[in-house]
Formats: sequence, C-alpha cells, structure tokens
Amino acid sequence: MATVQSSAVPTVRRGVEPLRAGQGTSFIWHKLHSLLGIVPIGAFLLEHLLSNFEALKGPVAYGEQVRFLNSLPLVRVLEWVFIFLPILYHGIYGVYIWLRGKSNIVYYPWAGNWMYLSQRYTGIVAFAYIIQHVLRQRFMGIMLPEHPGAAFWKVQHELANPWMVAVYVIAMICVCWHFAYGVWLFAAKWGITPGEVARRRFAYVCAVLGVLLAAMGIASIWAFTGPKYQNAPADVRLSTLVAPAHSGAAFHSIGSQLMI
Amino acid sequence: MATRTVTFEIKRQAGPDAPAVWESFELEWRPGMNVVSAMMEIAANPVTADGKPTTPIVYDSNCLEEICGSCAMKINGRARMACSALVDNLEQPIRVEPLTKFPLVRDLQVDRSVLFENLMRVKAWVPVDGTYDLGSGPRVYPQEQEANYPLSNCISCTCCMEVCPQFNEATDFVGAATIAQVKLFNNHPTGKVFKEDRLRALAGDGGIQECGYAQNCVEACPKQIPLTNAISDVGRDVLTQKVKDWLRG
Ligand code: SF4
Ligand code: SF4
Ligand code: FES
Repeated sequence: MATVQSSAVPTVRRGVEPLRAGQGTSFIWHKLHSLLGIVPIGAFLLEHLLSNFEALKGPVAYGEQVRFLNSLPLVRVLEWVFIFLPILYHGIYGVYIWLRGKSNIVYYPWAGNWMYLSQRYTGIVAFAYIIQHVLRQRFMGIMLPEHPGAAFWKVQHELANPWMVAVYVIAMICVCWHFAYGVWLFAAKWGITPGEVARRRFAYVCAVLGVLLAAMGIASIWAFTGPKYQNAPADVRLSTLVAPAHSGAAFHSIGSQLMI
Repeated sequence: MATRTVTFEIKRQAGPDAPAVWESFELEWRPGMNVVSAMMEIAANPVTADGKPTTPIVYDSNCLEEICGSCAMKINGRARMACSALVDNLEQPIRVEPLTKFPLVRDLQVDRSVLFENLMRVKAWVPVDGTYDLGSGPRVYPQEQEANYPLSNCISCTCCMEVCPQFNEATDFVGAATIAQVKLFNNHPTGKVFKEDRLRALAGDGGIQECGYAQNCVEACPKQIPLTNAISDVGRDVLTQKVKDWLRG
C-alpha cells in the first residue's frame, strides 16, 4: 500500500463516495438540527431578550419578569424540553456538522463562504457561552426560581467583572448573528426563499433583525452595568408577592431597600 | 521582435502513489492563448524552464470551448475550466494543479466518475426506452423551457463540487450539480415519472441536507447555473416528499 511520503503528497484516496440514495437517517437529524434552531431555540431567544429588556425598568420589574416565567405551569419540564435539550442537541450536532465540513475560504474568499465560516465560529462561541451562562446563572449561586427577587442582583454581581461584561457583549453579538443568519439559512434551505431576489431581500430583513436583537441585548447589559441601578439589593420584594392593593407599600419598601 | 513569455508552474504526479513535484515552464506568448493550448505547446516540446527534458503533461480536455466539461483544474488556486482560462487574464506565474477532491490518475487528470454515479443514483434521465414508438412527447411550454434551459447547461465539470466545503470524504455529499439535475428532470413532463424516486434518493446519507449553503458552487459554476435556487427548490421538495411518506406510513 501507499507509504507515507512527504506531506505534500496525497496518499491513495478512495475519493468521495456516491450518494447513498434513500439510505440512512442523516436527513432527519440534519432537519431536526435546523428546525430546533428556529423553534424552540430561536423563539426562546426572542423571549429571553424581551425579558432581559425589562431590566431597563429596574430590579423590581426584572424580578417580576423572572417570577412570572417561573410561575408558568410545568416550568421545569418546559425548560428541559424546550430549552436545555434542544440547545444541547443543536450545539453538539452543530459541532459535528462543523467538523465534517472543510472550509476553503483561503481559495474562495466569497461572501457566502465567509458567512458559512462565521456561522460555525459564532455557533461555537454561542454554545460555550450558553453552557457557562446556564451553569452559573441557573444552576449555581442563589436559585432564581425560588428567589426571583434576587435576579437583578445576581446578574449585576456577575457583570461586576469587566471581563464578564466583555464575554457577555461578545456572546450577545455572536448569538444574534448566528440566529439572524440562521433564519436566513433556514429560509434558503427549506425552500422558502428559492429565488435570488427573495434571498437578497430577506437578507436585509435578517440583518435588521440581528442588529436590533443585538442592540436590545446590549442595552439590557447596560441596565446592569450602567449608573442607574448601581448596587441593587440582594433580594427585592416583588409586588405580586403581596396583595395588589398593597403594591404601593411594596414599592415603598423596595425604595427604602434600594437606599441601603 | 522581443519575445514575450509566459510562465507556468504545474503540479505533476506520475501516478496516484507517486510524489508530487512542481515543474516550471516558460512559453512564448501568443495572442489568445489559454491554459489548454499552453499544455499542448508543452507536449510539443516537453522541456522545463531550466532546460530539463520531461514528459508531456497528462490532462483531460476535448471541446476547447467550455462545453464538454472535461478540462476542470485548479488554476491560480481556483477551480475552473482550463480551455476558457485565457492566459492574458491570469496572474503569472500561472499555477496549475489537479482538482483536489477526486482521486488522482496522473498529473492534472482526476477520476470524476462520482458525479456520473450520482446522476445514475438519482435517475437523472427521461425514461423513453421501449420496444415500440411512444409517439410524440408531451408539450413543454416556452415558459417551462426558459426555466429549465439554464439547468440543462450543466457540463458535468465538477467545479461546483470541488469548491464546495461540504463535498468531501467525511460527508460524501452528492454536490450541487446532481441536485440541479434533479430539478431539471423533475420539471420535465416525462421525466417527472421518477420525481418521487429522485427526491427520496436525495434524502439519503450524503444527500441534499449536507449542503451548508456556502454558495461557492454558484460562484464557481462556469455555466452560471442557478444552483442555489435549485438547492432551495429541491430542498423543499425533498422535505415535502419525506413528510408525505411519513404521514402515509
Ligand atoms: S451551497 Fe455551498 S454547501 Fe451547498 S452545494 Fe453549494 S457550495 Fe456546497
Ligand atoms: S453545475 Fe456548473 S459547475 Fe457543476 S458540474 Fe454543472 S456546469 Fe459544472
Ligand atoms: S475542453 Fe471542453 S470544457 Fe474545456
């Protein structure tokens, strides 16, 4: 058989095999990966960014939002079935897809080829970020499902480290980029935008979507790091925990806590 | 008259197992010369730039007018047709290498039979064989002809596969050309009879799902075939077929 010669020499290769017409199951696994990126993961991303936006209204509003989400029926089941497991699958299968591709951007530095590469890098950054984010914010430290009032404080505490702020901002951009281009790819590959013009128009739509989401995300990060809500209390009292009639009183007590 | 020259660097390999070496050639410039005509001149006088006699270069070519699809190679790093690669438009030295994704035969000649095998596996033909006269075929309206004509221009050069990041030995992806031919034959009023078979075939391992939509194929295709449109359309059709099949049980 072929002996190992200088590295410039291709050894005997079988070449690319012909299509295994109708054989195997990779079609469904690929399509599942693609679909999960839109629903539920994309849908959850939108929800998450909108919820984060509540942070701009301060610790109470943010805590309320966290409390509301945790009050959804079967919320623990929902978060596993619609968030954790889909993201794990999408991430792991995505890495598998990446490893099997063979980027050739050096020879063919074309726009689509750059985007192909960017989808892989933004994906891995997003996945790594999400893993640490879920571990640190959901499964470590004070438990937010039981203490939603601590939500603002917990995030603010995390973002007290400027390196963490950098990580969050970079990850936010990567996540929104990956999602926006992912929506575009989904439409192209599932035959929703089969024409050149449709794909170009939809590219503008997705670009606006991506920029908007990233801007919203970064604005929410600003809510935690900016001057407005410095030193949020470790646990705010949430108005909905008391009778609505007393919400004014609850707000008052929060106000006094904030002054501590 | 001072002679203008052109320099070629050609990657050579005596066989699949032989070591690869680069050889330079210096040729007299001629108006309108292209990479294949240069190769012919080298064959007429196989001497390298430093005066060493060598063997003529092995390569595929036939029509010399970008219609047979046989002369695809990497020229200055890019897969393209050698016969339409005009020397005047190329940066020198002109570096010529064989396509990298297909088993090498010798020098610039590679074995691209995987494309023909793929076309067979998706039944890329119109079935009209029979023992009696089938009469005239169904009418194809001009609008349909216009939509299908660009797809019928494929010259099976495999450039779209060579440049595709997903076409490699890990995925064994079928490549854009075969997908476009599925669209062509599914659009044909008689070819349609195999439509479901073709779509099911393309959902197999290495099928259309492996496309990462990098769009290199459509950039590289010498015949400007709307490959990404075809991938999108056929992608939808394959999916619908699979869903139908699952629902029907
Ligand atoms: S769009 Fe990209 S991945 Fe798909 S066939 Fe073309 S080059 Fe390959
Ligand atoms: S689709 Fe274009 S690049 Fe691909 S084989 Fe046909 S002519 Fe060549
Ligand atoms: S020789 Fe036929 S395409 Fe170049």
